[in-house]
Parts: sequence; C-alpha cells; structure tokens
Amino acid sequence: MSDDTFGSIAHRASLRSGDRVRVVASIVAALLFLFPVFWMVLTSFKLQKDIFTSPPTFIFTPTLENYVSYLQRSTIPHQMLNTVVVAFASGIISIVAGTMAGYALARLRIRGAGFLGVLILMSRGVPPIALAVPMFLVGRAFGLIDSHIILILAYCTFLIPYVMWLMRGFFKALPKELEESAMLDGCNRFGAFFKIIVPISVPGLLSTLIFCVILAWEELLFAIVLTNRVASTVPVAIVNIAGDTVNGANWGALTAVGTMTVIPVVVFALLVQKWLIQGLADGATKG
Amino acid sequence: MRSVRIKDVRKSYGTFEVIHGISIDIPDGQFVALVGPSGCGKSTLLRMMAGLEDISDGTITIGNRVINDVAPKDRDIAMVFQNYALYPHMTVRANMGFALRQRKTPKEEIDRRVADAARILGLEYLLERKPRALSGGQRQRVAMGRAIVRNPNVFLFDEPLSNLDAKLRVQMRSELKELHQRLATTTVYVTHDQVEAMTLADRIVVMNGGHVEQAGEPLELYDRPQSLFVAAFIGSPPMNFFKGAADEGRLRLESGEEFTLPETRVPVTGRVTLGIRPEHLTLRETGWPAKVSVVEPTGSETQIMARMKGEVVRVLVSGRTNLRPGDEISLGVDADHLHVFDTESGKRL
Repeated sequence: MSDDTFGSIAHRASLRSGDRVRVVASIVAALLFLFPVFWMVLTSFKLQKDIFTSPPTFIFTPTLENYVSYLQRSTIPHQMLNTVVVAFASGIISIVAGTMAGYALARLRIRGAGFLGVLILMSRGVPPIALAVPMFLVGRAFGLIDSHIILILAYCTFLIPYVMWLMRGFFKALPKELEESAMLDGCNRFGAFFKIIVPISVPGLLSTLIFCVILAWEELLFAIVLTNRVASTVPVAIVNIAGDTVNGANWGALTAVGTMTVIPVVVFALLVQKWLIQGLADGATKG
Repeated sequence: MRSVRIKDVRKSYGTFEVIHGISIDIPDGQFVALVGPSGCGKSTLLRMMAGLEDISDGTITIGNRVINDVAPKDRDIAMVFQNYALYPHMTVRANMGFALRQRKTPKEEIDRRVADAARILGLEYLLERKPRALSGGQRQRVAMGRAIVRNPNVFLFDEPLSNLDAKLRVQMRSELKELHQRLATTTVYVTHDQVEAMTLADRIVVMNGGHVEQAGEPLELYDRPQSLFVAAFIGSPPMNFFKGAADEGRLRLESGEEFTLPETRVPVTGRVTLGIRPEHLTLRETGWPAKVSVVEPTGSETQIMARMKGEVVRVLVSGRTNLRPGDEISLGVDADHLHVFDTESGKRL
C-alpha cells in the first residue's frame, strides 16, 4: 500500500473524528441550552412542595394544577392573546417595511444610502430605557397608552432596523441579474421585487420573521411602561407573578406561564421550518 | 426595421468617463460581436442598450425609435446574461413563459411558443424541472430559450458561454450560430474570446479603453488590422511583433535582421513595428535563425515557439514536424503578409 493511500485513509479518519467531536459538542451545547427549559417545563407539573425538595427530584406525581388554577383565576389568556397580536403584528409590519428598506439599501443608487443605513443601525445602540419615557409621553399625547397600537409601534422601532440589516445582506448576496432579467422581461422595479426577489427570499424572510416574533414576544420593558391592563403581555404577567409581594412568588404558576409562553413560538417555528430550506436560490446562475 | 444605431454614446460615473463617444450602426438581422479586454466598456455598452445603465450622452436608436429614456421592459430586447439569471423558484416552462405572461399573452399562445423554443433547443423533457436540477449547459439553453420565445427586436448576449467547459462551449457556439441563421434577429454579443467573435459574428467591433479600435468583418480584421491593439487581440495564436527602424523602405529590426519591404508599405522613415502572423512564417533552409523552445502538436497543425535573439517567435505549420526543443531552425517571411505599424501611434502604415 502506497504512502498516498495511507495518507488518504488517515485524512478520512481525521475527518471522521472531527465530525464526531462536532456532533458531541453540538449535543453538549444543546443540552446546556435546553436544560433550563426542560427544568421549567418539569417544574410546571410539580406541586409547590415538590418544587423545593432538596436534592431536586425528577420523580414526582405530576399535576396540571398550576395550569388549571392559574388560567382560571388570572388574566393570562387575555395577555397571551395580546402577546400574539402584538408580536405577530409588529413582526409582519417590520418584515414588510424592513425588507423594502433593506432592498433599497442593497440595490438602489441612493445618495448617502450607506450613511443612512449606519444611522438607522445606530438607533439600535440607544438603550431602550432612554426611549421608553419619551415613547410614553408621545403615546399619552396621542391617547394610545395601554393599547396594542403603541406597543406595536414601539416594537417596530427596533425590529425594522433589525430586519433591514438582515435582509440587506441577504439581497446583496442575490445576483442582481435576476431583477435585471425580470425588468427586461416586462417588470418594473416593483414587479421584479415582488415577483422574483420576494419569492426566492422566503427562507430569509421567514427566519427573520421568527426572530422578530421572538424578540417582540419576550419584550418586557416597553410592555411594562406603555401598557397597564388592556394591552399588557405575558412577560408582564410573569413579572407580576414573580413579584407578588402579597402571596409570595408562585413558582409553579410562574413556570406554567413560562411554558405556555414558549409553546406558541416553538409551534410557529416548527410550522415554518419546511420553508427554511437553504439554497432556494440554487440554480439561478451558472452551474 | 430592427436595426440598432449607436451614436456618439458616452458613459460617465461622476466625472470619470468610461465610454468616450462610440458610434456603431447595426443593420437589421446582423450579428455583431463586441470584443475587447476586461474593462474596455463592452458590457457597459450592452447594458446601456438594454436600459440597465443610463446613457450619459448620445443616442441609441432601435428601428426608428430613440430608446434613451425608454424603460427596459418597453425596449423589446431580450438579454442572455453571463450567469443565466434563471428564476430559481420557477420551472423551465415558467421561466420561458415569464416574459409572455407579463405581456398578457394568451395562455395557448404562450404554450405554443414555449413548446416551439423547447423543441428548437432540445429542452422538451426538462420543461417541468427547476433550474437547480439542470446542468450548466442546460441552464444556458434555458436562458436562450427564455430569450427566443419573446421574438424580440434585438438579442443581447453578455458572455453567455464563458461559464461552460471547453467542449460544451464549442457545441453551444455552433448552436448559437445555427439559431441566428434560423431567426435572423439583430444580435449584439459581448465576449472577450476573439475565437468566439470570429466564428459567430457577421461583424466584429473591437473595443479598447472605452473607444472603438476597429469595426469590420472578422476576416477583414484578421487580414488588415488597423492598429497594433487589434493585430494583437485578433488571432490565435497571436501575431508576432518585431520592433525596428525603417529607412526609405529598408527595415532593420532590433534583433539585427534587415530586409526590404514592398515599395508601398513604408513611405516614411522612423520607428516601426513589424507584425507577422504565425502561419506566415515558414521553415526554410536559409532565413532568420531561431532556436526551438516548445513544440505543441494539435494533430492537424503544429505550433512552434522559438527564440530569435532573445525574442519569442510563434510559428504555425500545417501537419506534423520532427522538431524538438533545442533544434536550430531558419525562418522565412512571406512579404505579402506583413503588417507594419507606426510604433509610436500604433496605427497601421
């Protein structure tokens, strides 16, 4: 057997061991990230007395009491609905506006486009707390406090720049000849954008939408400052449970609400994952 | 009338002018190749014709209509891009029918024209596939199919074969030529491959640094290049050049060789560059001495690279030869096929 053959076998073996290391590292990372979620779900099925056993136990009599009692007594379902409305509305508005802005920055020859883009990105650097009070004052002036609209608008202020920058990079990676070809085939710029660019950007748009919905879903600061009862969201409810100074923190309820908060996002991500196929644009250009 | 007239066209990016007043007339049905090195402005000129770049000055006319301010979609031009630009989310059928759908063409008409184009290009069995399931050559054919279903006024090709492997490129070149003979649509074809231009075009426009160096029929450019640039660009293997000085018809090369030119060729005294195509140098018993450095047989002919007092000389002989690197040879010059250029201006004398 030649040295080359030995070299080739050794190379393949090292690749395989490299793959194994990556798989093990991925599993360890996944376990580390998922363990708090797993513990939250587990705790949500425990009675208060089982939650604080020391050492913690995996074996206990599961109960739905945390879910049933809290859902019956509290405003959680209403807050859950608010969260769904606000997260998806702000996510969708941001996707529409941010995608078009990102396309303009990526493709159109606009004087000062680069500076404008950086300026918009810099707005993300402002601490949210510095914006919360001015937003409250503006919301109050327009009679929008404790409404879905003020929360949606507030979330759009940080989601649109986020979408714009993500999609700008995505569009820059697409061959510009696709739009040019569409424009020669009978489309104007808008037609080329909506008929060619948007359909092939679906994976990028959906993954960005998921992140937007998650960001809006878990947002707490603006929700606390800008809402009270009518439009308050689940994160506000969780804070209220944790900070219950009268009855003490109900950890069972807290983890039950936390679990219910996570489920819709996971379901949404699972529903759209079939669209998140990499390489939808494959085949557009040279092979 | 599907003729194209480009008149005094200029293109500037800010204060930087890249195309300096180009004028080209392309009669109806002619196949014109724009050739030149990278950055010479050929693709920019093509994109200006397509409406993908603004025209800074001058006019472009298709038929009787000035199209400077006409949107790309209204120019009735079909373009095949270097990277094909197929719509990845559409099938081959949808790709080919897209332009017709945009023009609200009846479905039966679209189906008929797509079927016709698919038959011409041998794409019938690929119509329901997406571009990602096609090979490079098939994608190239689909890109051409997308252009021909429209039956446009003008075809524009931007280096459409440059991404194909050598064998497929030669095959597609023949198919393109056959297609043009069949459709007789006015065509402008950009390439940096002069062999492609020579074999495909009715007329070649050689561009250099945003200017037209020379325009003419392929063999006219080959036989009578008007500048050193065109002489060097057209022809493969390339022309040999020898610098020297002329004195009343007598030419003395820097290599020391000396000979008399035909009377009409060197009217002035001064520094000149002599151009000789490789096939116009012959192996003789006596002549310019040279030493063979490389022998490249291709079967039907053999290319010999030799050194003549330090300068590289290419010689093309038909058939085969027993020459080996290191052999001493003598080169004869065919005086009827000499090209003499003014060294300073680069113009033909």
